[in-house]
Amino acid sequence: MTNRFSITYGYYFRNYYRSRSFYLMLLLVLLVSGLMVYLSFRYLNKLPDFIPELKGKAISTGLKEELFLYIWAFVLSDLPVFAAVFFGSPAISSEIENRTAFQIFPLPIGRSVLLMGKYLASVSVTLVITAIYIIVEVITYIIVFPGQLPVTFFKSIGLLAVFIFSISAFTFLVSSIFKKNLYAYITVFLIYFIIFSAMNIVFELIYSYNPFFLLDNAASIVERVFVNVSTSTFAVNNSIAGASFSSIMVALLVMILYLVVSIVIALLIFENKEVK
Amino acid sequence: MPGLDIMGVSKNFGSLQALKDINLNVDTPQCIGILGPNGAGKTTLLKIITNILKPSEGKILVNGVNVNQNPTKALEKIGALVEQPEFYPYLTGRETMKFVARIKGMSVSGSSEEIEKLASITGITGYLDRKTGEYSRGMKQRLGLAVSMIGDPEIIVLDEPTFGLDPRGMKEMRDILITLKEEKKRIILFSTHLISEAREVCDRVIIVDKGEIKFNDEISDMRGNKMRIRGSFNNIKNIPGAKDLTTKGNEITLEMKPGETRNSILRELMENGVEIDSVEGMDRMEEVYLSLVQ
Repeated sequence: MTNRFSITYGYYFRNYYRSRSFYLMLLLVLLVSGLMVYLSFRYLNKLPDFIPELKGKAISTGLKEELFLYIWAFVLSDLPVFAAVFFGSPAISSEIENRTAFQIFPLPIGRSVLLMGKYLASVSVTLVITAIYIIVEVITYIIVFPGQLPVTFFKSIGLLAVFIFSISAFTFLVSSIFKKNLYAYITVFLIYFIIFSAMNIVFELIYSYNPFFLLDNAASIVERVFVNVSTSTFAVNNSIAGASFSSIMVALLVMILYLVVSIVIALLIFENKEVK
Repeated sequence: MPGLDIMGVSKNFGSLQALKDINLNVDTPQCIGILGPNGAGKTTLLKIITNILKPSEGKILVNGVNVNQNPTKALEKIGALVEQPEFYPYLTGRETMKFVARIKGMSVSGSSEEIEKLASITGITGYLDRKTGEYSRGMKQRLGLAVSMIGDPEIIVLDEPTFGLDPRGMKEMRDILITLKEEKKRIILFSTHLISEAREVCDRVIIVDKGEIKFNDEISDMRGNKMRIRGSFNNIKNIPGAKDLTTKGNEITLEMKPGETRNSILRELMENGVEIDSVEGMDRMEEVYLSLVQ
């Protein structure tokens, strides 16, 4: 079982990192990283201006560091979404659309092993992509603020890793429902960038309530550990300090719930999948 | 001894009944050709045997193991090539074969030897290190056949294996099937549209139409006593050893009377001044097929 899983993982990982999607994401992350490096040096002295309450004020180096990391993490938390869309959205639908299911379903291996191997391969390539951005971020940080990275940075990276597992599982779930890759791509984008945003606006505007249960809100913990400011115009509970321990735990729990529920449902669907 | 039991298998797609109460038992090595028109249910049957589809009713046992309930164990004995094969495009042919070999429990060194051997048999040696995304339709078909033979499975399921191949490729594919049947003693199930292909390769033929098995018999029982002779004839109307003689242009079709042999008929014809260009034995398969399939 373990051996078959590692074989499956290895081959799927190879198929992922040689794909056009991987090179497209690599290009995207290099462009974004380059842009962030430029912006970091260009607007270093204007960092406080990003937060309305701090505009024009002198701030401590510590807060400046936190703001710097907040802005990098803000962009970072969106990278896994794009990577997961590229790698996860077609994960199962492509087996049907590209007819590779006819090759893998007759193999003497559990479908759950196949799915989990592919899922971890997808998570791995997403981790590789985000790792490139993080390396550039760390180098830039060390140049700008010589010294050690704060502990909060490592917390943020840990939360990002959980988010990568979570968003990848979510895209696998969506992919398991469709037989066409395009439908899976569009659905993930629609849910994450339109439906979740619409729900955020409705809850925050009408009910002044933070819909913590939405995955994009939970993911924002990656940057909110530095400065607890939401970019939503209607956001409630903003604070210059980092997110509280309870906020971190709630976000973590939400991401884990998305992960577990999505994977379990995707497994059930994949296990019973038929290809006409 | 390997065995395949198809027990009361039906398959519904919504209101359409694609297969109706299919029963088949195969417990000796042989090649079974599944013939039938498009949409008859041939591929559906093969897909259920290989766990790509689940039966609506009934079950399939491979060496007594239910494919639907314990697919991992049941499929250990099966090699399959279903529909036109597609592979992960960024893996090479060698990696694709290694992936399957390793999943089938072969060691790294054992799988390397197996890959070389099967690539040589199927004629893909020169393409092994190319990504499968660059393969032509015919090369994918050959790779699919090589993949289906990995681990020397006891039962090989092939869905129109010669589809997309050039005439030489088709001949090579048929030769491989004959070798598998005669030397390796495997159970081979393969669907085809070509009666001539089934005749050449198979020991048994199943004719499927509208989701039902309409005919199931050994090829040897279908050998007829009809002949088709091409040559130049001089108004020949009667041959003592033959009946139902019909002449059409430079072609005669006849049925041998009981006790007559092909040689005796040909001798009679030559004694009557006929110059023979070619002789073709005719069996009942085509007749049976056309009478059953509407």
